[in-house]
Amino acid sequence: MLKKVSFLMFAMLSLLLILTGCGKDKEVSTAGKEEESDGKTLRIVTDANYAPFEFLEGDKVVGFDIDFITAVAKEAGYEPKVESIGWDPIFVEIESKRADVAVSAITVNDERKQTYDFSVPYFLSTNKILVPEKSDIKSGNELKGKVIAVQTGTTGQAAVEKLLGKNNKNIKKFENNNLAIQELLKGGAAAVVADNTVVEEYVKNNPDQKLKVVEDSKAFKEEFYGLMFPKGSELKPEFDKAVNAVYENGKYAEIYKEWFGTDPDLETLKAQQ
Amino acid sequence: MSFRWDIIVEYAPFLLKGTLLTIGLSVSSILIGTFLGLLIGLGKIMQNKALAFPFYCYVTVFRGTPLLVQIFLIHFGIVPLFTGETNAVAAGVIALSLNAAAYIAEIFRAGIQSIDKGQMEGSRSLGLTHTQTMIHVVLPQAFKRMIPPLGNEFIVLLKDSSLLCVIAAPELMYWGKAMGSQYFKVWEPYLACAFIYLFLTLILSFVLNRLERRLKTG
Repeated sequence: MLKKVSFLMFAMLSLLLILTGCGKDKEVSTAGKEEESDGKTLRIVTDANYAPFEFLEGDKVVGFDIDFITAVAKEAGYEPKVESIGWDPIFVEIESKRADVAVSAITVNDERKQTYDFSVPYFLSTNKILVPEKSDIKSGNELKGKVIAVQTGTTGQAAVEKLLGKNNKNIKKFENNNLAIQELLKGGAAAVVADNTVVEEYVKNNPDQKLKVVEDSKAFKEEFYGLMFPKGSELKPEFDKAVNAVYENGKYAEIYKEWFGTDPDLETLKAQQ
Repeated sequence: MSFRWDIIVEYAPFLLKGTLLTIGLSVSSILIGTFLGLLIGLGKIMQNKALAFPFYCYVTVFRGTPLLVQIFLIHFGIVPLFTGETNAVAAGVIALSLNAAAYIAEIFRAGIQSIDKGQMEGSRSLGLTHTQTMIHVVLPQAFKRMIPPLGNEFIVLLKDSSLLCVIAAPELMYWGKAMGSQYFKVWEPYLACAFIYLFLTLILSFVLNRLERRLKTG
């Protein structure tokens, strides 16, 4: 009898734990609905592993991209609900239309344009090389023959593959840039190639690690981030308009300054439209 | 959504290379893990409680923490501590063998303790020492009983080697992920990986079945 009771208790306890897991999600969505006076809630996906663009503070997703998408979505009359799901899953969820918008420092390129729709560009970025202070690597070409760590599926990987050859065994692909940088710090790689903001931010925040950033504008071209939609999404034109509105009313500059401490180069961004 | 065979064909050489590394990682970890497991299992059943204690701790730690956590600790922490650089393949073999050893130790302990006490008493009364009895009487009988659980453990180990993709060990899953993130596809890379893993575990269970039949008596 006692055994049966304790088994039942155990079963109920595990059920309760599972339910609390689900409960959180519901709370968020109902909270969204209450404010839904002006529009419907959008499922916005990101990979919160990319400071300062998107990262986790406790269990909250924060960062430049998050503030930006919130401003743009509000401007377009929607309620954003941001969810961090990891880098590769973003592309799968958007392609299958299970999510409405992706914002995750996603570079717009021709390959991706075949499968997805992008908003007008909202950020200017270049890939840069992160190396130890003592390293003698001075350009992209000098990466040849060295072991390079990258985040898998990024333009950083594509840029290195252009130099070293696709699927070269010297390219180590990691789930995210933090692991790639860890590999560099522990001596498993000679350099990391990633978006300038990420590597510069890392050097700034970790002066004790003795790293430096190498620029090579010849090997690595200018890139632009865009909001990513499923192909043929009706949201794209609305969001294009909203992005421009956020440029005009100064909200963009305000958010940019808050995260990067400088003024944005709006002219270059607008010239790309 | 169409199934793109062409990207599987494109990645076939990499998947093959990855498969070979997966086999290499698994086989060496099985061998090292079994050897360590035997020692730890024997250590754990020592009469002297103080001597058995470290082995008890070992099993508790390695069985009680996730393999993924052990992989990160060994790759970014322990291996660089000794060599000054990371080595994904070395870290992989170490993590897999140490983890498997904890489980295998328990399998050995259970196998040895399942042999009737009378066997030990009988052979001791015939003049064999404790060690001799262990080697010639108890272990051969225990080993037969241990084959099915050992087989389980080997199969688990082979599948768990896929976790090593997080430290960029270029095994099967790593190339599957590389393929997935290049084309942003799910079915093609992961179904291909699933089939290869299934094929490998089928071979492994076939070998273990043969071994079991061979050692069968009576």
